[in-house]
Amino acid sequence: MANLLLEVKELGVAYGDVRALWDVSLEVEEGSIVALVGTNGAGKTTLLKTISGLLRSVHGQVLFEGEDLANLDTKHRVDKGIVMVPEGRRLFQGLTVLENLRLGAYLPKARAGYDDSLERVFSLFPLLKERKNGKAGLLSGGEQQMLAIGRAVMARPRLVMIDEASLGLSPILTRTIFGLIVELNTQGTTVLLVEQNIHMALKVCHRAYVMKTGHIMLSGTGEELLANDDVRKAYIGARGSRLL
Amino acid sequence: MRLLSDGRTLNKRRLISTGLGVLAVAFLATLPFYYDVDRGQFGIFFFNVFVYTIMAQGWNLLGGYTGQISLGQNAFFGVGAYTMALLWYNDVTKTGYYFDPVLMVLAGVAPAILAVLVGIPLLSRLRGDYFSFGTLGMGAIVTVLFINGGKYTGGAEGRMLVPKMPEGVVFNLRTHYWVSLLVAVLATLVVYFMTTSRVGLALKAIREDEVSAASHGVNVLKYKVIAFAVGAFMAGVAGSIFGYYLLQVTPSNVLTQNWLFYPIMMVVLGGTGTIIGPWLGAFLIYLISWYGGSYFAGWDPVITGIVLILVMLFLPGGLAGLVGKVPGLARIGRGSA
Amino acid sequence: MSVFTQVVINGILLGSMYGIAAIGLSLIFGTMRIIFIAQGTMIVFFAYLVYWSFVKAGIDPYLSLFTVVPFAFAVGLGMFYLIFRRAAALEDRNVSLLLAVGVMYLVQNLILKVWSATPRGLDLSYSDAMIVVGGLRVSWLRLALVGLAVASAVVVYLFLKRTRVGTAVRAASEDMEAVKIQGINAVWVCAVSFAIGIGLAGVAGVGMATVYNFDYQYGFTFAIKALVALALGGIGNVYGALAGGILLGIIENLAAYYVGQAWVEVASYGVFMLVLIFLPQGLFGRGGLVKKV
Repeated sequence: MANLLLEVKELGVAYGDVRALWDVSLEVEEGSIVALVGTNGAGKTTLLKTISGLLRSVHGQVLFEGEDLANLDTKHRVDKGIVMVPEGRRLFQGLTVLENLRLGAYLPKARAGYDDSLERVFSLFPLLKERKNGKAGLLSGGEQQMLAIGRAVMARPRLVMIDEASLGLSPILTRTIFGLIVELNTQGTTVLLVEQNIHMALKVCHRAYVMKTGHIMLSGTGEELLANDDVRKAYIGARGSRLL
Repeated sequence: MRLLSDGRTLNKRRLISTGLGVLAVAFLATLPFYYDVDRGQFGIFFFNVFVYTIMAQGWNLLGGYTGQISLGQNAFFGVGAYTMALLWYNDVTKTGYYFDPVLMVLAGVAPAILAVLVGIPLLSRLRGDYFSFGTLGMGAIVTVLFINGGKYTGGAEGRMLVPKMPEGVVFNLRTHYWVSLLVAVLATLVVYFMTTSRVGLALKAIREDEVSAASHGVNVLKYKVIAFAVGAFMAGVAGSIFGYYLLQVTPSNVLTQNWLFYPIMMVVLGGTGTIIGPWLGAFLIYLISWYGGSYFAGWDPVITGIVLILVMLFLPGGLAGLVGKVPGLARIGRGSA
Repeated sequence: MSVFTQVVINGILLGSMYGIAAIGLSLIFGTMRIIFIAQGTMIVFFAYLVYWSFVKAGIDPYLSLFTVVPFAFAVGLGMFYLIFRRAAALEDRNVSLLLAVGVMYLVQNLILKVWSATPRGLDLSYSDAMIVVGGLRVSWLRLALVGLAVASAVVVYLFLKRTRVGTAVRAASEDMEAVKIQGINAVWVCAVSFAIGIGLAGVAGVGMATVYNFDYQYGFTFAIKALVALALGGIGNVYGALAGGILLGIIENLAAYYVGQAWVEVASYGVFMLVLIFLPQGLFGRGGLVKKV
């Protein structure tokens, strides 16, 4: 029975008086890829932000390796190995590729393994090595996504949470990126994937959760959900092509 | 269309606070009858408090309710004072009144026009804090222009108005007291009715989330300019009242930083976005500076400054916030563009 | 022609001090997204300290650099943690602005209380030393001021480009939340920027003490000048801020010479309003004052 790296238990999050998450529970096994799918506004990004420590919950728990993260701020969570690749990448456009990567390895533990991490990133994303002194803002969409993931890898993470990796990318690029994500996972990093591109997400993941308006509606393995009628009708469309 | 802010439960409270307000005004209005205002220090004290209250209400309308911070109120005050002074000096209206209401209204209109002229370009293009600096620059330019105004404004010596007093009218502090109290109450009523109407709703929406307000069809620029202009109008009228008191309008008494800082500090202390805030703040801060002079010998501005910062840090709703829930500073323009 | 050159050169010398102030403003703005309106008053405050140490202890102003600047940095850290921390964390710009206004008022009156309203200035043994080059006369002290300004710009530039914290500051001025996501302590980044900004005020204070006469109210005027310099130069560029200051100095000096001393203020404030209205992004800046909706 594999280790549960991340456990979210009945998490409730609100923006002021407006509830965004209702009793959300999920589990991420160590070494797996877990997908979190659903339409816009389902609360997926809110959930990631709460796990990262950027948002506070009103009730519920987030456990990492059994430890309650309750009072830990983002800095400590990153230190523990929980790193987010935010929606829209949020790269530092005016800084070079290398500088962006260096900022990913800001904390002491990550700094110590800097050379190692850099080599890992460059072997995963050779394109980044070529452009290492170029400004991040000048990279193409796919390269930017690679840099965003690379930046997270520099923090020597146990768990990488990727929000909308396919955003703005062509189908081919999306496939490349997802391939790299799988590669990353094979190397031992656990991945929590938030995606609107449900088809791809369900194909690569081991387990998936479907979210809608702040609730977890369904969960199962990737294959199970791909075959699920409700999911097909609501998100994938009758002929299996992506509607969203 | 008037809107009640919080529904039925607040009715009793409103009744009480309105009642208290009326009592307070009645008390203040009748004060000169059982206390010799003319000779005692009370008259001067309250006169200044009322003038500052008018300024504060004006600033509060733009700052507390709309979330835009003006750092140029002293310019409007000065323009108002000068408008009144120059019109009187040059006998433009030929009414020969002392406290001429026409002059006072004109003294308010002039800075309001300035506010519109300056406000439209500044408010339409610049973010909140840059608007503030724009007002700061405006204030500086106005000051310099008046100092260098030569024969138009009397330069650094300004204009002496004493010779212009109509015959038979003697300077009586009582008149000043009542006029300033009256205008302060009027200003308060104006702010009250504006902020409890649809206009007020728009202003508060702009304060809370400008982008959201715009997307709901609120013409953000229009309302900001309105608030700015009304605030300027009040400052100008306050300036004219003060001019009638000083009888000599110079840059160093109507365009000084005091008229910039004090109204802001008074509103912050009293409670931004409230009707009573300006009154409380004006009273307290003027009290500190009044007695500070004799007891703390020059330290009183420093003390005021420290008190201000402490209030902003720990009591964002100001004094009014102690009594009830107040939007206060913490909600001004948070995170808005 | 040489009179014109002389006027321009003097303008450059004058403007370099505005430039130092503007660099500080730019740094503070980058991370905290506020324009620290009390910068001018802080500069005057440090100028008074330099004056004091000269008058009371005979310490040469340029030596005071070594005491005043670190002290200024410490004051900056203290001010940030005591006063601005929460507002910066909440990104509440209006509160930060009002706090800065409060600080300006407080420091100004503190100066008034401690040192009275008499304008101060330093008369140094080498105050009048001039260097004469081909018909142009330049005072050594003012030249040294330019040196200070350039040195400050270089130091800040190196800090931003070559140090880890500096890179974080640059990143933060682009996207503060993304910085937090990397696990970087955003509060510390803001604190360091703010402290350096105040440290630069200390440098400018030394410069001001050596060359100018100043009084407790001068900070208010100076703040606006620094702001104009920043607006001219554009935000986000260290050398741009310096250039903005120098440009302003030139404009002011030209106005003083060709139009009259009294209109210098009108010239600078006028430029300010024009820039705010027509060129909010400044000449060299990225982003600048433009409204982002």
